[in-house]
Amino acid sequence: MIITNYMRDEHRECDTLFAKAEEAVALAEWSVAGERFLAFANDTIRHFKKEEDELFPAFENQTGNAQGPTMVMKYEHEQIRDLIGKMAASIEAEDKDAYLSLAESMMILLQQHNMKEEQMLYSMCDRALPQALKEETLEKMKAVTI
Amino acid sequence: MFQQNGLSLDQAPPIGVIFRLFFVASLFGVLSGIFILLYGVDIFDLSSIGAITIVHTLTLGVMASFMLGALFQMLPVIGGVVISAPVGWSWTIQILFVFGLISLLLAFNLPQFSYLFIYASILLGLSLLGAIVLMGNRLLLVAHHTSSSRGMLFALVAFGVTIFLAIYLSLSLAGVVDGIYYMQIKVAHYSFGLFGWITLLIFSISFQVIEMFYVTPPYPSLVGKYLPLTLFVILIFSIFMPFIGGIMMSILLISFSLLTLYRLSQKKRPLADATIWFWRLGLTSLIVSMLFAIAYKIFSLDWINSISSVAFVSFALSIIFAMFYKIVPFLTWFHLNAQGYYKAPMMHEVIHPKTAKKHFWIHSIVIISLLLSIWITPLIYLAGASTILSFGWVSYQVIYAHLLYVKTQKSGEKFDMSGMD
Repeated sequence: MIITNYMRDEHRECDTLFAKAEEAVALAEWSVAGERFLAFANDTIRHFKKEEDELFPAFENQTGNAQGPTMVMKYEHEQIRDLIGKMAASIEAEDKDAYLSLAESMMILLQQHNMKEEQMLYSMCDRALPQALKEETLEKMKAVTI
Repeated sequence: MFQQNGLSLDQAPPIGVIFRLFFVASLFGVLSGIFILLYGVDIFDLSSIGAITIVHTLTLGVMASFMLGALFQMLPVIGGVVISAPVGWSWTIQILFVFGLISLLLAFNLPQFSYLFIYASILLGLSLLGAIVLMGNRLLLVAHHTSSSRGMLFALVAFGVTIFLAIYLSLSLAGVVDGIYYMQIKVAHYSFGLFGWITLLIFSISFQVIEMFYVTPPYPSLVGKYLPLTLFVILIFSIFMPFIGGIMMSILLISFSLLTLYRLSQKKRPLADATIWFWRLGLTSLIVSMLFAIAYKIFSLDWINSISSVAFVSFALSIIFAMFYKIVPFLTWFHLNAQGYYKAPMMHEVIHPKTAKKHFWIHSIVIISLLLSIWITPLIYLAGASTILSFGWVSYQVIYAHLLYVKTQKSGEKFDMSGMD
């Protein structure tokens, strides 16, 4: 379960960064909020890049299925990227209510997405990919930058 | 693979399915307030017609409707369970359910028309057992169960047992069967309903949503793995050994409530919105309910039993409201956003946290006035009026969210998503 464990840990780290950014917004500490939100956004986008550039292609090649769950996950990534953009704009505008409202949507959307990946897609990857390929994909993901 | 694993956005049920179940639930809530006004403090005599009428209005009309709505929404996400033709199923289940429940409530109050119990048995049996088979069947096929999906499966089994026992009780009251085990079956019926269905379903949902909504550390894996089975075993044991089994059940529920309150205190998200307060009130109410349930076993005083019962209602309703204030705004935004409407209202525009907070206070007045009316009887009218206000408030939120949804769709201002098909 090396894929599941690694990716799940990344999800938790993003959750922590998200909560820290929200805390700063709640206190109206906008410059701190900006820095923390940037850290959350960067980590989230890097995580998506790891999936889209490395993990999903490996899974699709192995199973021959590029129109299945990975396609849905990529679509949800787009939704989340769109929300990240809106949240960034609300920090820019120092609009606390808009940020907190978007944060609610983001949290549920992100958690639903993570749940599907952790409980289904990652374990499918762990089962479908041969051990050597899993290890190779994991190393490649660790090297991904944005 | 794509269609079998619940990963598609298309597999989320249409928003109307959830809204309709929630709206009907809130109308039955208003009806329960009217019943409180009509029956007054008689409702504290748990064997009275008033108490039985209100208990079934709340547990079936309100709680089961909300819970089935939540299950329709959550099963695709939590268990990868796909319910095909959800609109047709939900309509069928709901129409049979509403007529069945009305028949049951009339049957309780019009004993001369005992055949109403037969109608109720048929309509509610078809509706609820149909829903259980529909959902349970899909859950059984899940290859890798989570704590939530496993608990939901147990809860649905308990609900099925509750309904079967209810059919026996109804047919006894209608004179179709001799009812020789009526009292024993009645105890098993409400034990499976209150603990096996309502409590276990809420616990199963909390495995997932406490961590997910509030970013808390996860529950210990042993708890998630063994709690549903442990609760089920104690439940069966308590039917044969009510004193010891009842105390064991109380201890189990108190322990889980304390653990969940502790998890909530560890939340990483800084904000304490109304939903957190609903969770805290609900879990504290369950602790109070179970402490008084233990006390009742020792002292057998009616007022102790009344406090335990009101606190249990507070537990179930508070957590249902906590879920409601997350589900309705999120779904409104989610469905519109997924359809490409760039003016999709944000969650706070659907229901603002301040609106939910106001409802929290109204709900608190309901519970406090109900508790105080055990001794100060005129307060029962405040309890009835505030119950009507509380559920009227909820029904207004559903209508408002629906109107906002329709208005946004009618605006027609959406991204061109044709390229995404």
